[in-house]
Amino acid sequence: MGRLHNLTNALVVQLYKHLPWLSERWARRHRFVETEGIPWVPMRKPLRETVIALATTAGVHLKTQPPFDMDDPNGDASFRVIPSDVKAEAVVITHNYYDHSAADKDLNVVLPLDRLKELKTEGRIGGIAPFVYGFMGHIDGPHVDTLVKQTAPEVARRLMRDGAEAVVLTPA
Amino acid sequence: MGLLQRAIEAEGIPTIGITLQKEVTKKVKPPRAVYLRYPFGHPLGEAFHVKQQRTILLDALQALETITEPGTILEPGYLWRRHRFE
Repeated sequence: MGRLHNLTNALVVQLYKHLPWLSERWARRHRFVETEGIPWVPMRKPLRETVIALATTAGVHLKTQPPFDMDDPNGDASFRVIPSDVKAEAVVITHNYYDHSAADKDLNVVLPLDRLKELKTEGRIGGIAPFVYGFMGHIDGPHVDTLVKQTAPEVARRLMRDGAEAVVLTPA
Repeated sequence: MGLLQRAIEAEGIPTIGITLQKEVTKKVKPPRAVYLRYPFGHPLGEAFHVKQQRTILLDALQALETITEPGTILEPGYLWRRHRFE
């Protein structure tokens, strides 16, 4: 059963990779959390003075951290704290719902830490926040509630404590 | 991802999300987004394409300053594997 599920999933992952319009069709039919209003805070200073943090839902975590739960069909709403100066060799991607072969070769495809460091060196941004927050973006059913009420606000508070002044989010 | 983004913005930090799924983003309504018609797993483009990754990251960062209307989705319109990044 588990094996069949994995095979079916692998097939779907490839279909969606090669036929992007499938996901648009799926999105129109799938029920999402429809949200009211849009939270908004303006940038307080120019980009060149702003400390930037990265957060990703691409399933990135340290090899020493527990992987995201791939057995629960509703996904996993937990997060992993990754130091921003991490070496690419120290991280791994656990996320069976997309093809991460490109990101496995070059982490910057989903988490552009090297590019961000270059922009810091050039003075295009003010700084890089000390931690990256890694989620596994396949979250459904009861875990949506966990994300919205617990783990997402917790990461937001942590980012505030980290001194992040703007956040760039990257998906799977 | 949009729900996480909304939570961060609600805490008081400006956010920008790169999205590969415009329909989802329209429904979840994050404060600012950059949409690319790229395959899943490639929000910054192709592996080892430094110019491409840099351009997309800069697009996202600059959108933090240029977007003034909540819910805006910017579309740079890069063609997957065809756009020449300088």
